[in-house]
Amino acid sequence: MELDNSVKLAIYTRVADTGKMPAIGKVAEAVGVPVAEVKASYARLYQSRVLVLQPDGISIRMAPPFSGVPTQHLVRAGGKEYFANCAWDALGILAALHRAGEVFSRCEQTLEPLHLRVNENGPDPEPCVIHFAVPAALWWRDIVFT
Amino acid sequence: MLFFRSEEQVNAWCAAKGLPRRPLVTLSQLWQLAQAWYAERLSPAARRPGPDEMREIFARVGLEGPFWDPKADYFS
Repeated sequence: MELDNSVKLAIYTRVADTGKMPAIGKVAEAVGVPVAEVKASYARLYQSRVLVLQPDGISIRMAPPFSGVPTQHLVRAGGKEYFANCAWDALGILAALHRAGEVFSRCEQTLEPLHLRVNENGPDPEPCVIHFAVPAALWWRDIVFT
Repeated sequence: MLFFRSEEQVNAWCAAKGLPRRPLVTLSQLWQLAQAWYAERLSPAARRPGPDEMREIFARVGLEGPFWDPKADYFS
């Protein structure tokens, strides 16, 4: 659907430009339709696994790889800061932006800070591993836990 | 999908949480996944990979088996 693609682009453009997930009013303004139509579009985008919404249906929890809420995965690039949903998405933000940057996260067991420097060829070597707790077939059963 | 300093820390975390230990991914593999999944995410034609594409991406990165199969009923 054309509107859904415009809504998706408006969201991603704004979060990439500002590091903040846009309010629904700003998205409606950008695509030139009433908020109610954008809300219906959000619901369709959730069904197609493009967005994850807060219970109010108008606030965006995730537009992967970007997070709409603070997390333990902070990404810095181009003078801006972004929150990622998970380890994969932390690198995913830099891949999506096509920028070098830094990831500030932690070892989930010890809570020791973990700092990655990433250039266009990927992250500099750093002693760490990434654990995928949920099988791919079940990711969207509880995407926030995944 | 969480970072850990070592496999030992993963094992300790899983034991403390009562969760099964699942596959580990290296930083290099994670970067390849990030590129495959998100490099075009800001473009107008961007779309989420379908199940066959997901399997292909995982296999290319060296991640194979039911854990990485988006259609597997092995874990349901």
